[in-house]
Amino acid sequence: MMAIRELKVCLLGDTGVGKSSIVCRFVQDHFDHNISPTIGASFMTKTVPCGSELHKFLIWDTAGQERFHSLAPMYYRGSAAAVIVYDITKQDSFHTLKKWVKELKEHGPENIVMAIAGNKCDLSDIREVPLKDAKEYAESIGAIVVETSAKNAINIEELFQGISRQIPPLDPHENENNGAIKLGKQTMQASRRCC
Amino acid sequence: MADNLPSEFDVIVIGTGLPESIIAAACSRSGQRVLHVDSRSYYGGNWASFSFSGLLSWLREYQEDSDIVNESPAWQEQILENEEAIALSRKDKTIQHVKVFCYASQDSHDDIEEVGALQKNHASVTSANSTEAADSACLPAEDESLSTVSCEMPTGQTPSSDPEHAIEENYVDATGDKENHCDDKTCMSSTSEEATSENVPTAEDIAEQPKKNRITYSQIIKEGRKFNIDLVSKVLYSRGLLIDLLIKSNVSRYAEFKNITRILAFREGRVEQVPCSRADVFNSKQLTMVEKRMLMKFLTFCMEFEEHLDEYKDYEEITFSEYLKTQKLTPNLQYFVLHSIAMTSETTSSTIDGLKATKNFLQCLGRYGNTPFLFPLYGQGELPQCFCRMCAVFGGIYCLRHSVQCLVVDKESGKCKAIIDQFGQRIMSKHFLVEDSYFSETTCSHVQYRQISRAVLITDRSVLQADSDQQISILTVPAEERGTSAVRVIELCSSTMTCMKGTYLVHLTCTSSKTAREDLEPVVQKLFTPYTEMEIENEEVEKPRLLWALYFNMRDSSDVSRNSYNDLPSNVYVCSGPDCSLGNDNAVKQAETLFQQICPNEDFCPPPPNPEDIILDGDSLQPGAVDSSAVPEANSETPKETTDLGNTEEPSV
Repeated sequence: MMAIRELKVCLLGDTGVGKSSIVCRFVQDHFDHNISPTIGASFMTKTVPCGSELHKFLIWDTAGQERFHSLAPMYYRGSAAAVIVYDITKQDSFHTLKKWVKELKEHGPENIVMAIAGNKCDLSDIREVPLKDAKEYAESIGAIVVETSAKNAINIEELFQGISRQIPPLDPHENENNGAIKLGKQTMQASRRCC
Repeated sequence: MADNLPSEFDVIVIGTGLPESIIAAACSRSGQRVLHVDSRSYYGGNWASFSFSGLLSWLREYQEDSDIVNESPAWQEQILENEEAIALSRKDKTIQHVKVFCYASQDSHDDIEEVGALQKNHASVTSANSTEAADSACLPAEDESLSTVSCEMPTGQTPSSDPEHAIEENYVDATGDKENHCDDKTCMSSTSEEATSENVPTAEDIAEQPKKNRITYSQIIKEGRKFNIDLVSKVLYSRGLLIDLLIKSNVSRYAEFKNITRILAFREGRVEQVPCSRADVFNSKQLTMVEKRMLMKFLTFCMEFEEHLDEYKDYEEITFSEYLKTQKLTPNLQYFVLHSIAMTSETTSSTIDGLKATKNFLQCLGRYGNTPFLFPLYGQGELPQCFCRMCAVFGGIYCLRHSVQCLVVDKESGKCKAIIDQFGQRIMSKHFLVEDSYFSETTCSHVQYRQISRAVLITDRSVLQADSDQQISILTVPAEERGTSAVRVIELCSSTMTCMKGTYLVHLTCTSSKTAREDLEPVVQKLFTPYTEMEIENEEVEKPRLLWALYFNMRDSSDVSRNSYNDLPSNVYVCSGPDCSLGNDNAVKQAETLFQQICPNEDFCPPPPNPEDIILDGDSLQPGAVDSSAVPEANSETPKETTDLGNTEEPSV
């Protein structure tokens, strides 16, 4: 029996770049053209194997709070990884990527795994952002980078596999500070924080 | 941002404090279109918590008198003939008498001769490239202005404008003050000399630390992100209204909690642990066998006191403390029950109130742990954010840094119909919920406020050292004079994610009778000693040392009646700022009452629909066949994840 590790992953990026679609594709292998811009699932889960462990991703969506730059610090708490999404057909969305990275460094946990996803790569004929630029930037901040298409299911699995590989192995000393309480479970139960 | 707001909503909520956030969540949950704005750049208003640098910039705002009036389009010309405007205030006036003192070593090269040995270590500890900046920021020199904010982020952020006003100005105070801190007679810590080294962080960061862990100001700056400093200091009663609401609404999934580990009392100059659970009572070394029996008997009676009317009805007219004297309790026990369990004072509460408070305390025991209280990881400031997230998940729109210039009232109906925001945009709504600090002086000219006195301290060890250095404690220090109130002390350790390793974050709160500093400094002096450079190595230090201290007064509008505001239309609802009490019941009650006015007959924050009840469209997923054996290649782990209703969160199982 493999150990299941819960890993919180938060999504970042401008409105409309396809954050929710990426999760939707990853978790449900489903793509919906008419996904509502603000209302999305608040978090979804999927478990994938990684070495001797199972990684259970708890993927948090922004719930639209990024639209007017009002993401709460609580959104980043305890995240093991962040997926920062831009749209390869919109140069602007690549520019603001840097702003999201900055925000992540300000509010996110230290040692968070960063993954950059250049989404909508099925539309490469109207591409505005060269892959090379993304690669250079990703390298400069120590992030992994991949171009994805939620629509055509390209590189979505790979994106999350990439994250899985970057997650440091469980530190046996990590447990000492735990004992945090999650409410709403039938019994009191010490739960792991996911990082 | 170029993105435009929709121009019509059902409910506009102004302010992101706890009550406003709960109402926003409740309204959004029941299908209202909610716009939630705050003129500040952070969530929570006076319920917020800050990193260390965040707190410094917050302080700056209150110390600078500058009215930053940014040129907003004039709203007056937008007001039509059949309309009136209620202008909102541009500046928050709820915080006063801010004082900051820094005692921690400044790492300056001037004092190198006094702490030579330490100095070396500092150099190695603070090796990030921001060190220089951090160091100089601590000095009352002139050129440091840009550093404090930026040095917290070693990645080299763009520094923001001059943060130094606060620190600089207080420097004078800080130095002057060291002498003022008289050595009190009291002896605080019970444990041995090793105690001093107990707090030394054990893991990664210590390789080169001195044996005695001395935290410097630049370390505090550098590790500033580890701090989450609450403006209000509260805890959650484990059977209080807020816990019930968090569970019922499923908002609890966004937060994690720690149990307060111990209740402390301050008696005869000493800090002692109060035995409150059955196990504590029996394990207590400070109580005699006889006392243990007395206490258990009395507490058992309190649990069901209503059924024994005859045992207390003769005492209903007197205070709880008088009543306790009539019971078979030693003075020791009376003290514990009065101050630490009922958390009341000699004069303020009646027998009934005291019994009720005691019963409430006892009922909350054991639900999550050995004391009745929980504290949210990362601070109380998480809670408004959790409710805001719930609101957003159900479609609520969020805008921080967004101020509202005025409310527009229709003359004929007398109702508010729109707001005009900072961009001059008119946004219509049916209901308007406003946190009271947004009202202008014109609206509040008849309002009287109470004040809360607050202190925030960073210290180097616990007021009562124990086997574990990860204790979360509540201590009540009774008032010394009549007319003043008891001081509540909450000491948080680093595992609450509110302070850096090796430090404690201590919050003091009381109802103000004077300025916060005047009210609280005597207690601070009893419990702590200012950090000084000149300590002799082997001298046993009796009290925890103060590294940094902040005092301020916060306005308490919790008992202001709606009628005392001038000319508010009936569809404008008022939320108050935080009150002085330990729990959050007041905020929840307020939220529920206002929600019922906005949405009569609607359920208040019902649980989100269980995603398993949502019918999937033509999927082959089988509801009920949930997870664990996890076939990873299959598309989703459980059938819970659908996007049908947009509200599909994983239910906390």
